[in-house]
Amino acid sequence: MNPTPLQRALSAAPERAPAAKPRAEQEFFSFELGGLRIGIPSENVREVLRAGPLTPLPRSPSFLLGVTGHRGEVLPVLDLLRFLGKGEARIGSRTRLFVGISGSYVAAVLADTVAGLTRVPLSDIMPPPVGGDFSTDHLLGVVQPAAGGQILSLLNFSKVLQTARQRAVSR
Amino acid sequence: MSTVPEPTPNVELLLFEIADAVYGVDASQVRRIDRPGPHAIVRPELGIPHRNARALVFVTPEGEGELAVDGVRGVVNVSFDELRRLPPVTRGLSFAVGMWLGSDRPILLIDLPETARAASAAKEHHVPDHS
Repeated sequence: MNPTPLQRALSAAPERAPAAKPRAEQEFFSFELGGLRIGIPSENVREVLRAGPLTPLPRSPSFLLGVTGHRGEVLPVLDLLRFLGKGEARIGSRTRLFVGISGSYVAAVLADTVAGLTRVPLSDIMPPPVGGDFSTDHLLGVVQPAAGGQILSLLNFSKVLQTARQRAVSR
Repeated sequence: MSTVPEPTPNVELLLFEIADAVYGVDASQVRRIDRPGPHAIVRPELGIPHRNARALVFVTPEGEGELAVDGVRGVVNVSFDELRRLPPVTRGLSFAVGMWLGSDRPILLIDLPETARAASAAKEHHVPDHS
């Protein structure tokens, strides 16, 4: 007598629930600036600090607001909004700086608020919009939150620092 | 027997103001402080002096040079530990040579003869507009 479809299915059924496949994820440091939600790979962030007094630098690009001293180090201070052509950051009492690093390049970057570290499944990262502007050239991708809300733009921070240096020294 | 730690080498910086910003130079480069003459250099990148009250007189291979400033704050004795080179992304000006970290904010350090060299280079590259 031929087995029924159910019997066939049962004979092929596993003994126990298969182990869930781990989802590939990447950790990002996320913050808000000028109403934008931005994330950069956590390995590019060293620490977060309060914005201290800045020393403006002559003939520097507008996105380079000056330098600040921190733990015996001179850090250039970057305004990502100006760098990306998205307006300009406002410095207030709640403004934070995070120290970003890529290879031998280190810079302090302005943030209105710091959200912290977030793990993003790689499958949730959508490619940057095709034919975008200068800012999309520096994006790793974007993440649309499941419950709506604002898009998280993931920045290629190493490329940001590289471009910032090229634009600063070519003046 | 205890060893005496080697003294940290020091350098004297002369601090001055241009348009409310404070800068520093190696005091040994300053021959004297004078009233600005007709050929005193103004570097717009450092700001335009409001009062134009003083000039830092220094020596260049071509003779004396003068940098017009608003005022002189004085001379400070600074340990090498408090000096830093400029970060790579900030190296846009030939006469900006470094920073001093001993103040409440970093002070930009200027090479005086280089301000004169940069001023003459700018004059040589200036193309008069006859339109």
